[in-house]
Amino acid sequence: MSLNAEKMTLSGEFVDLRPLCISDADLTFKWRQSPRSLLLNRGANSAWQQGEWIAARPANEFNFIIQLKDGKPIGMVSLTDIDMINLRGEPGRFLIGDEDATKGIPAAAEAMLLLYQLAFDHLGLHRVYGAVAEDNRRMIKWQLYMGMTKEGRFQDHYFINGRFQCAVLFGLIEPEFHKVAAPRLKAMIAAGHMKIAAPT
Amino acid sequence: MDTRSIVTEIIFKALRQLNDELAQGKKIEISTDTKLFGPEASLDSLSLVSVVVDVETGVSDSFSKTVSLTDDIAMSQQVLPFSSVQALVDYIIQLLDKE
Repeated sequence: MSLNAEKMTLSGEFVDLRPLCISDADLTFKWRQSPRSLLLNRGANSAWQQGEWIAARPANEFNFIIQLKDGKPIGMVSLTDIDMINLRGEPGRFLIGDEDATKGIPAAAEAMLLLYQLAFDHLGLHRVYGAVAEDNRRMIKWQLYMGMTKEGRFQDHYFINGRFQCAVLFGLIEPEFHKVAAPRLKAMIAAGHMKIAAPT
Repeated sequence: MDTRSIVTEIIFKALRQLNDELAQGKKIEISTDTKLFGPEASLDSLSLVSVVVDVETGVSDSFSKTVSLTDDIAMSQQVLPFSSVQALVDYIIQLLDKE
């Protein structure tokens, strides 16, 4: 891999993606305790464990903190399981931890565009893929909006919220990224610049 | 019901579905004045996409017409179609009238 995952920062108009570091343990652990995170894979049991987990990330993973342009951290996202033989990788660990700070701002859209541009345009991957718990309907709609194709499901793959849930499997190949996902994400980002309607 | 009422109800339904997924204290007020996106808005982009997907589906089901709410045409409007529920209703009616 020609890119340095530990030092890379990706810059956008509304957010930057900067490398996740051990000093983010307390904040990211707090985010992982939120009700929304119940729909993700189980994480660390303490901030200390979270720090251990961050320290153990392999060099061929890209783990980012999503931060506003003023430096305020608002979430996290990763690109993992990068396979430079088969040219595929898995975006994931996507969590907006501070939802209030992102209201009215296309933060999630731009964070995902930056991550996909890293995957397809910089790393030259051909395909990204992932799995979402069936109850995580908002994330499933998000994946479909971005042009992801529903490729199948793993039955009772997760035990979340006290019951088994299927994993919905998604995939996106490079031509579809440029044809569908990138224009939609760019449109969402453009919405962040538009004039709003006067109150009625 | 007239077109405006149907479209308004489609958007309200999408917002109710979103509220089902939001934690207590994070749920959004549902009215025609609800600001969806932009300054003082109720939604982040993750939630906005959820609403957009449900509204596009609802419009397609109700009117047998496909509308795209986040294409270049939407983004070339003078005002953001997601400024408020009212603005989104107006924009969808404009799209339906074009057909």
